[in-house]
Amino acid sequence: MYIYGWLIFITPIVGAFLSFALGRHDRRLAGPIASLAIGLSLVFSILAFFRVQSSGPIDNSYNWFFNINAGIYIDHLALVMVLMVSFVSLMIHIFAMYYMGEDPNRHIYFAETALFTSGMLGLVVSSNLVLFFLFWELVGLCSYLLVGFWFFKPNATSAAKKAFIVTRVGDLLFLIGMAILYFSLMGYPGLTSGVSPLDIPFLINHAQSIASYVGPNTLGAVAVLFLGAAAGKSAQFPLHVWIPDAMEGPTTVSALIHAATMVTAGVYLVARVFPIFYYSAPFALYSVVAVGAFTAFFAGIIGIVVNDIKRILAYSTISQIGYMMAAIGLGSVIGYSGVSYGMFHLVVHADFKALLFMCAGAILIALMDLRDTREMGGLWRRMPITVTLLLIGSLALVAFPGTAGYFSKDSIIAASWIYFEKSGSPYAIIPWILLAGGSLLTALYTFRMFFRVALGKPRSYLAEKAHDPKPVVLIPLMILGAGALFLGLIQPYFYRYVYSQAVVPSIPLYIEAIPITLMAIGIIVTYFIYGTERYKKIDISKNLGYRIVKNKFYLDRLFTNVIAERFIAAFSGATASFEASYNRGVEGVGDGTLNLGAFFRKLQNGVIENYFIFLIIGISVIFIIIEILGVL
Amino acid sequence: MALVLIYSFVRFSSGYTGGFISRVSYSLAPSIGINFSTGVSGFTDALLILSVIVIFISTLIAEKKELDRVMFSYILTTESGLIGVLISRDFLFFYIFWEVVLIPVYFMIAQFGSFRKESVGLKFFVYTHIGSVFLLLSIFAVYTYHFDQTGVLTFQIGSLMTNSTFSYMPVFWRDFTIFGFLFAFLVKMPVFPLHSWLPDSYESAPYPATVILSGGLSLMGGLGLFGILLPVTQSLGTFVLSFLIALGIISLVYFALAAMMQSSLKRMMALASAASMGFVVLAFGAGGLETGYEKTLELSGGMFQIVAHGLIMAFVFSALYFIKRSTGKENIHEMGGIFRETPFLASFLLAGLLASLGLPGMAGFIGEFSVLVGSFQAIGWVILLVIFGMILTASYHIWAAQRSLYGPYNENLGRIRDSGTYQTVVLGASLVVILILGIFPNLLFGLLTAYTGGL
Repeated sequence: MYIYGWLIFITPIVGAFLSFALGRHDRRLAGPIASLAIGLSLVFSILAFFRVQSSGPIDNSYNWFFNINAGIYIDHLALVMVLMVSFVSLMIHIFAMYYMGEDPNRHIYFAETALFTSGMLGLVVSSNLVLFFLFWELVGLCSYLLVGFWFFKPNATSAAKKAFIVTRVGDLLFLIGMAILYFSLMGYPGLTSGVSPLDIPFLINHAQSIASYVGPNTLGAVAVLFLGAAAGKSAQFPLHVWIPDAMEGPTTVSALIHAATMVTAGVYLVARVFPIFYYSAPFALYSVVAVGAFTAFFAGIIGIVVNDIKRILAYSTISQIGYMMAAIGLGSVIGYSGVSYGMFHLVVHADFKALLFMCAGAILIALMDLRDTREMGGLWRRMPITVTLLLIGSLALVAFPGTAGYFSKDSIIAASWIYFEKSGSPYAIIPWILLAGGSLLTALYTFRMFFRVALGKPRSYLAEKAHDPKPVVLIPLMILGAGALFLGLIQPYFYRYVYSQAVVPSIPLYIEAIPITLMAIGIIVTYFIYGTERYKKIDISKNLGYRIVKNKFYLDRLFTNVIAERFIAAFSGATASFEASYNRGVEGVGDGTLNLGAFFRKLQNGVIENYFIFLIIGISVIFIIIEILGVL
Repeated sequence: MALVLIYSFVRFSSGYTGGFISRVSYSLAPSIGINFSTGVSGFTDALLILSVIVIFISTLIAEKKELDRVMFSYILTTESGLIGVLISRDFLFFYIFWEVVLIPVYFMIAQFGSFRKESVGLKFFVYTHIGSVFLLLSIFAVYTYHFDQTGVLTFQIGSLMTNSTFSYMPVFWRDFTIFGFLFAFLVKMPVFPLHSWLPDSYESAPYPATVILSGGLSLMGGLGLFGILLPVTQSLGTFVLSFLIALGIISLVYFALAAMMQSSLKRMMALASAASMGFVVLAFGAGGLETGYEKTLELSGGMFQIVAHGLIMAFVFSALYFIKRSTGKENIHEMGGIFRETPFLASFLLAGLLASLGLPGMAGFIGEFSVLVGSFQAIGWVILLVIFGMILTASYHIWAAQRSLYGPYNENLGRIRDSGTYQTVVLGASLVVILILGIFPNLLFGLLTAYTGGL
């Protein structure tokens, strides 16, 4: 048993309890305790890293119940995730000590974020799909609690509810996937005693023979159900609707959960069981790439018309996760390298998106939670450090050459070109078109936001009075900013670390140049519109296309107003009224019985003559019946 | 003083039966053709633990001012009846104890109930008693044909409930017997068409009685299925088992739909309780049809679900009770934002709701997971209906939490008190039990898999 591996996720749980218990008495203690716990798990993760370097993957598992095991499995894939989660979480915790510094319930906040971190780390290292699912739901629960952290805001609680229910739909698809897998593996010869059918190492090491045992189509169905779960958690089309609403939570929560870590759990799931996708029927990975590429494009379109700074970032998160998904989905042609590409973008994205959200958080504190970018403007002059950091994050987000985002994202676009070349099918160009087009959209929405925030004149009183926080609280942001600039340097090593054969994709220069050109066009266009005063002259609010996009393609309305309110609620109302009338019916039967008894009680009035009369009547009736029957 | 005495007595008695659990005893006392014999299997052992905990919670939360001391004697009588049912290995005593449980519960409702207490109590009594009558008739039918077949007069459950007895019986009487047993057990469960007593009784009963009803009495239905009928699943036939699966799934979805629109939290949780017993029926039906390790997982999961459901419901109703005492309300729209004033109580209730919707880490997940994952062999893609039910379940739980616990504070409530130390300890201890079972399920699951025959 490798105790440090377990401590990776046990430490934050202990930290959560301690920061709640001690924080109740002294609120100032909560933040440092939680941060210390996360810092410790970062240390343990680094120890685990060296352990894996020296002696291969860590695999400790024990019987949990029946033939389901619980334990930890740490290989290279898990390690990059563990290091990323504990590092980014630590940065966000440190910043949260400033951001949540005045909140009266901050002991609850820190306990919940520490618990969340523990769930996320547990998810990453767990060795069995059932345990994985436990942590998967634990992070979902923490997300629910933290989105609704400001419980007195009706928006926040309803967003929390939406987040919980929508991700729950995905989670239950995960359960069906496990049910099918569990059933199909009955009788599989590799299932020796002590091996659980849902063990992750077992599944990924035997994927090929499992596929031939259960049949590629069944396994493909399992894979697609897992993809559904991933879509719920990672906010992929069509289950992405919860994430923009979830922005009602504290901004550090958005940074931690809805940008850097939890929403990438779905990508991690697909990467984790990638061999299952790889060896099952081809439709499994086709659907991954389809969902990913489409979402990357689709969310980018919506992002262009949103005004709320956090929601812009939320749509950009959805879109970027689409890139990661697509990268893994490309694996049907380029093999395991797709996982490398996706995971690198995941790590880099976690870094710069956490940075962007925390910059937004710093701006929101200065602007007293004013989130509308139309009311900002001219902040570069008033908050130079923060907005410069925001610029670094934005450049990484649009994959400006030289930043980390360029190395991670353009490689995915390049890989999708290779996918097209190698697969030979004309339809295989679609992912490349969507992903390359996505870089134009990314540039549009990112710099629309940035120019509105940074340039021009302040458009509100709050924006005029804004000023930077103390530089010391921005240190975590600076560290992440350095990451956003320089993480690209480790690209080849990272690829090889996740999958030993992966190389940086190389494609002809003129193809390579297309996304960069699109990105440059995007920045220039947005500068001309939003960097100056020209946007005032443009009015597209009557435009039909604009209205459709502004209404998020009516998907939210479909889910909330049609399915939930018109369909489920009506159905449930009908059931409830049926239930009530059924209840009355049953009571009616009871009352009828009682009344019948009352009627017969009246007959027994003790008067002999009456009894005699009834006797005669009865006998006569019997005779009449006999007579009639006899005649018939 | 007397109350304190009774109180400590209750503690003692619970502790005593708690000690009974660990060993499997088999004592026989022959009398005129009827034996009084007791024994504890892995499954009844689990249920004994459950019933003791539930009764314990029930006595701990019972408010001495509101309820007479006679309430405690009712609780104790129920407990002895429950334990009698669980440990009897003889049909006649099984039946007697089965009836013993009804009477004190009837009085609890009729005497301390909140609305229409007499009629609701009567409804409960008559409804479940009709079930018991069928149980008795079935027992006699089996008894007679067993005598006919072997020439031995015995009420031993173990010797009566065998496939050979059932295959010896003529078709009509076999079907009648199966119907009788199922009817009796499904009323107690309850499943969809036989549930009409449940929402009223749960809602009207005083909270300690609701705890007993949800945790203790629903256990009897599960005991009937898994304790009595499990050995003869083959005689039930595919049709009956499929029918049970259908009933289980219908209950699950139907109760979830009906619960969504309830305005009273107590009634909503009553329906939620019935819905999660749907898993138990589903597990029994599907487990009977399956083979291989899935069968073991499915059956054990069903039994685990009984225990988990009992604990969770006891916990939820206790939390609701304390909230009711604190705010005076139990209707969703009369509360609102109470998290601000009573963070502890609200968190406990939220924990209970989450446990009830089957959140992993809590006991309910292990049961629901095993039932759901195990059932694919028997029901195939019908599993989507179960999933639909689970989505509904999650939705209305979360919706209720949003409307009652969060949002702006309902200032009409005025100043309300959060839980005191005593209440926190009681609720916290129950929550810890639920968490322990959710994180270390093998404490019970091992017993249950051993009972169903192991791997």
